Amino acid sequence: MTQDSTGGSGLPGGMFGAGTPTFLTTKVDFVVNWARRNSLWPMPFGTACCAIEMMASAASTHDLARFGMERMSFSPRQADVLICAGRVPYKLAPVLRRIWDQMPQPKWAVSMGACASSGGVFDAYSMVQGIDTIIPVDVYVPGCPPRPEALIYGLIMIQEKIRGETLARHQEHRREVAGEAGHPIAGPAEVMALSGPFGNSTHQNRPSGLVPGIPSERPDDRIP
Amino acid sequence: MTNDTSSGYRDAEPDVEHPTDSGHTLQLSDVGGLEGAHPSVVAARDRFSDAIVDHEVVSGDEHILHVRRDASLEVIRWLKEDPEHTYNYLSDVTAVDYGEGRPLQVVYQLFSIPFRRFLRVKVELPLESLEIESVVPLWQAANWLEREVYDMFGITFLNHPDLRRILMPDNYAEGHPLRKDFPLRGRFTRAEQTRRALARQPEDDYIPAEFDGTRRPQVVAWKETGGEAVPREVMQPMAPSPDQDS
Repeated sequence: MTQDSTGGSGLPGGMFGAGTPTFLTTKVDFVVNWARRNSLWPMPFGTACCAIEMMASAASTHDLARFGMERMSFSPRQADVLICAGRVPYKLAPVLRRIWDQMPQPKWAVSMGACASSGGVFDAYSMVQGIDTIIPVDVYVPGCPPRPEALIYGLIMIQEKIRGETLARHQEHRREVAGEAGHPIAGPAEVMALSGPFGNSTHQNRPSGLVPGIPSERPDDRIP
Repeated sequence: MTNDTSSGYRDAEPDVEHPTDSGHTLQLSDVGGLEGAHPSVVAARDRFSDAIVDHEVVSGDEHILHVRRDASLEVIRWLKEDPEHTYNYLSDVTAVDYGEGRPLQVVYQLFSIPFRRFLRVKVELPLESLEIESVVPLWQAANWLEREVYDMFGITFLNHPDLRRILMPDNYAEGHPLRKDFPLRGRFTRAEQTRRALARQPEDDYIPAEFDGTRRPQVVAWKETGGEAVPREVMQPMAPSPDQDS
């Protein structure tokens, strides 16, 4: 191996820094998605015990930073993924909506725990029955509260979702129609099958207030 | 351990002779019955024979004084200011609704720091007129406690300096949630509740003076007017802020 073949840098030929011009060809989509999914900064919206598990996820044992969530961004302006951890009362709903609106695109949302996803056991007058009636949600993490592994798995699911995105359909990925939150993508039959015996945020088997009738007769009851 | 007797009243009482030293088990009659076990109850019944409706003891040693509504402030003021009793610490103000059309009860939890005595005062309000005198002139601590009772039960406290909702939003139109006739999930549909919640702004829960720091403490305004009810706009001046960032 002669001095010339390394371009004077000591590196093997063809590497960065070598004297000979080299090229790295890839797709823009791949590079953009690689950068986005490996530097997701979470916006922690912790309101209850789920926030304790969220803190444990960021602490040294589980170390969320391994997956690119290096910094918990306590300002929504520098955040990429909103983690709503805990129950949300109606009085807090405009606050959650404001924080979501303040986050710049592209952004994702994780609904962590039973209360944020469906209201949980707090089926009362004061509690939002699932934050997907307030903001669009990408990943629901079940549990009461979920283990840190579950939250990390949910965030890895967001990374997988980003991996499938393409700039050509950017507008479609980022689409957020006012009033669309709460409308399930799945059909009524699938939602009914998924809701199980206890109901969920989009299909409840429990009546609300003094409204008569069974929930299947009032599909629009919960859609604002 | 000999002082831990069947009367259940464990607080230090220098006036009461404990005959247990002679081997005799202390009976209620030794201290003058249930009322004699609590000196404030005896004194209150002597002084306000008309205003004290009833007296009961629950859980062994918790004394409850039932007071007529029109004399409630007078009795509570005397309990606080009389040097023999001096209930100078207001632990809590709350209310109870037993349902089925029975009257609501306003509950005052009092504690005397110098005498180390507890006393619970209850005032019954018929459902037709849920009004009672505020005790904010006696304890500033009653301000938010009475606001909470107003919010949850709909009880109006007369002469309260700032009576408005404290837990539920200002525009909450479904009633008072802790009343027995309130449905668990509220009166509106979930859709209407979500719509109303999103129609509000986070700033609506504050008054402008709280943002720019020009809000004066309520206790100052109250002293300036000598205990009269203060209109809200007088108490909380609204100063325009040139660079208020929302």
